[in-house]
Amino acid sequence: MNSDESEKEDGMTSGIGVMERELLQQRLRALPDTPPPRDVWRRITEQAHAEGLLRQRPRWGGARWLAGAGLAAAVTLSVLQLPWFDAQPLTDGPFPTEPAVMESTTTRSLDALMVQSQWLERHLRALPEERGVMRASTAATISELQDRVAAIDYTLNDPGADLTVAQQETFWRERVRLMNSLMQVRYAHARRTSF
Amino acid sequence: MSKFTDITLDPGIVRRAAHGDVRAHEIIYRAFSAPVYSICLRFTRVPAQAEDLLQDTFVEVMRSIDTFRGEAQLGTWIRQVAVSKALMFLRSAWYRRGQSLDDEWDDVTPGRNDGHGVSASPDEALDLDAALASLPPVSRAVVWLHDVEGFTHKEIAGMLGKSESFSKSQLSRAYQRLRPMLEAETERNADDRALDNRVAGHC
Repeated sequence: MNSDESEKEDGMTSGIGVMERELLQQRLRALPDTPPPRDVWRRITEQAHAEGLLRQRPRWGGARWLAGAGLAAAVTLSVLQLPWFDAQPLTDGPFPTEPAVMESTTTRSLDALMVQSQWLERHLRALPEERGVMRASTAATISELQDRVAAIDYTLNDPGADLTVAQQETFWRERVRLMNSLMQVRYAHARRTSF
Repeated sequence: MSKFTDITLDPGIVRRAAHGDVRAHEIIYRAFSAPVYSICLRFTRVPAQAEDLLQDTFVEVMRSIDTFRGEAQLGTWIRQVAVSKALMFLRSAWYRRGQSLDDEWDDVTPGRNDGHGVSASPDEALDLDAALASLPPVSRAVVWLHDVEGFTHKEIAGMLGKSESFSKSQLSRAYQRLRPMLEAETERNADDRALDNRVAGHC
């Protein structure tokens, strides 16, 4: 888009040399992108839903209570597991590196997993900030879980990955599992630091 | 050249998004949110403002994607939406607080150390982000649009609602400000090359 003549003119008026200019452009282009905070997508969808920009899926109407029941069950399980997390060293791995392969695959279950994942994200954000002294192993576990979630997000968002619905479901299920673990670790830490 | 044009998505995703498919929009968002957020952050330097601009951009994408005909790349179109939003913000009275675009350089005097200026120390002088931060917002945007995104002065002037010479003078003044950092780095590169040659000569 920029012409050579225009570039020369810009350089001449500022006294900048060709080498400096090339270096500047090269370095500017090499600056890394900054990923946005996670909750921006939620804000966007909330606004878009409020403006009626997104299509409501008909199948959701009937399945919503099922998804809700599933979430309630997930919450109950999380709460039931918390004492165990308090008693055990929370930070010990290893966590599975490969997502478990799921048997059944439907877009409905995929939607439910995405909703569940968003729900967990919301609740994670609602937890108090990571204050106080955190054990290095706890910090490492949190970091590892976050890295794995990020790796899954990368795969899910990679246009070249060309995932089938079944593969997507596998990744989303693993994402929910990791988010659940993350919430439990964070919750246990928040409880410890609140006393 | 621009990171926006390096990203390609299946046309089917755009078609689904045009019908309001939330998952298709999420794929578009995941693909382009980082470059959009980055450009907004480079222009404003304030994360909260960049987040708002990111939100505005993608809500606008959702509103208007049915008008996207695929003549240009999706990334080019999204970039245009993002740049328009960001420049509109920079030009807003709220942001400028009554300052004229032309005299923004007046309060950015060379050498003033306000924590954002180009530092004299060699390490810090290499910090391009700090050097960019020392520029007034509109000049920073002009540098980015011209040198990274490849817009012409005419296009930049059109987006800013200013003349071509305004765009050129902003770029020229920005180069003057960045020159010490660039010269320092060019000298360092030359020294490194000389050292490499000497080492190679001994081997």
